[in-house]
Parts: sequence; structure tokens; C-alpha cells
Amino acid sequence: MSFNTDKNWMYSLSGRHIHLWQWTETAATDTVGSYRVKLPSEYYGKQLIYPNEDITSGLRVEYTAFSEPFISEALEDTTGRISATTIAFSDGGDTISDSGNGFVTAGFQTDDKIRIIGSASNDGDYTVDVAAGTLTIDSGSTTLETAGESITIYQIPKAVADASVDESSHINLNRMLSLAAVDYIRAQMKEATGDLQGKEYCMREFWKKVGDNESNKRNISMSFPASPFAIK
Amino acid sequence: MTVQEIMERTGLKETGLAKAWIKDAVQIIRSSYPEHIKVDKQNIIDGEREYILPADMISLLSISVKDTTDKKYKKIRRISNDIVVKEDTDPE
Repeated sequence: MSFNTDKNWMYSLSGRHIHLWQWTETAATDTVGSYRVKLPSEYYGKQLIYPNEDITSGLRVEYTAFSEPFISEALEDTTGRISATTIAFSDGGDTISDSGNGFVTAGFQTDDKIRIIGSASNDGDYTVDVAAGTLTIDSGSTTLETAGESITIYQIPKAVADASVDESSHINLNRMLSLAAVDYIRAQMKEATGDLQGKEYCMREFWKKVGDNESNKRNISMSFPASPFAIK
Repeated sequence: MTVQEIMERTGLKETGLAKAWIKDAVQIIRSSYPEHIKVDKQNIIDGEREYILPADMISLLSISVKDTTDKKYKKIRRISNDIVVKEDTDPE
């Protein structure tokens, strides 16, 4: 049974691999029932050991990924969202119902890709057909859940497969980052013609927009006391 | 913004080249900022130290291990110095 994993587990990186280690400062131990007990053997001292138990889905890696660069509609248009306690799931079927009939007014449309959070057994991503009180999932099945829990369903971008990308496909970035991508392409075009000054200018514009996009998420105000003798 | 709009703004004529450069831009942006975050979960196996990084990873944000006593994933620390033990043939 793992405990205090933030203190007792560590990792190192080696090429494309993660090496997991457990930090122990004990003698030999064993688990009896659910209790870890110290064995009457010699003291091992502080050491790093290999993981000494099975943990299903125990390792969680959070990362930025190169996936879904193109989507079927603009990111700003994926606005469908509903949070309600009136949402229920059918038993082994393919329907999600809302007794408040709020799916259409919440902005969902047929063929939207949705993500469900807050349910007991039906969290996940689905593609759906939409009616006012019913979402019908295109593939898979739902597990029975009656209404009562607060469940949120929101629209997520629908990826376009690389082979199907055409001029009508959207870039999977918001508008500010899409404008940055325009500057990046301009920079590549300038470089191709040997205009290195032009390329440098466009890349500066690219990084400026990328930086602006990031700082827009962090509204930090700074204030300074004005000196009574300050020259204005 | 559509691929077509990007091509019109830049004056680029070749769709294939536009797609390639757009992908490059997406890669660079996601390499610098956590704009598109994914999560990968793997089983931890008794006596097994080595686990693979996700194939589509651009940059690593955090690694957590599940605390089975309270069912929470807790962020773990990276060992900064070189470890003496390179392989343990009897990890139990």
C-alpha cells in the first residue's frame, strides 16, 4: 500500500524512459494484512529501491503533446456546455437524457464531440447526435445512472485526421496563436527567399504574439508608491 | 482560423507546405507553453523501475504516483544527481 508518495517516491529520466524509485529509511519490512511491519533483520539505512508493489494506473505523466494539430471547427466555436443535476444515462444503451431538455439551448449540435465529467461511471469523450432532451452517442454504450449528481458536459474540438486535412480545416489553436502561426509561416517564406532580416522580424512578431497569449492568462497588476519628489 | 485563411494572409499557394509549416508552428508553441496538455497513466509493477515516456510528448510537465491510501495522485520529485545503482538484479 503506497503512502505519502510525494515524499517517498522519486524519478529520474534516462533517454525515453522514466526510472521510478522509492525512498526508504527503514529496516526490511513486509505487509501483513494492510499493515506494514518491520522485520527483525538488519537495518538497511537510507536507500533508493525499485517500486515494491503493483499499483494499477499508478504512474501519471502530464505533458504537452503534438496531437490533433487540425480540427473541424474553430476553437472559439466549441461553446456547447451544460452543468445540471437532471442528466441521466441509460443502462447499456447509447442515450444520455436531460429532463430539463437543455442540450440544444446549451449549444450542442449533431456530430459534436463532447466530454463528460462528474458522472460515476460515464466520464469520457463521445461523439453525439443531439435532440433537446437526449444525446445519442455514436459508438460505445453508457452505464446506468439516474439523475441527481451534478454532471457537466462540454464540447471539445473534433480532430481531423492528417490525410483528411484540407483548406477548410481549422488549426487547433486559439485566434491569437493562429495569428502567431501566420507570422511563423511568413518567417519561413522570408527565409526561403533569403530575406533573413525579414525572417527575424516575423519571428519576433511570432514570439510576441505567443508571449501575449500566455500573459493574457495571468492578469497581474503592479503598483508602486509615488514619491512626493518624483519628476512627472 | 482555417488553413485557407492562413494561406491567404501569407500569400502561400501550396496547401501541403502550409500544412507542414502550420504543424511546425504548433510544435514550437506547444514546446514553449503548456497549451495542449495530455495525461498518460501506466501501471506500476513490483520490481520494475523503467517506464516509457509517451511517444507524442513534446515537453514533460509533471510525474505523479498514486497514493493508494487516499486515492490521490501526488507529484513526485526528480532526482537531480546521478544514481550509483545502475541495475538491480535482485530488486525484491
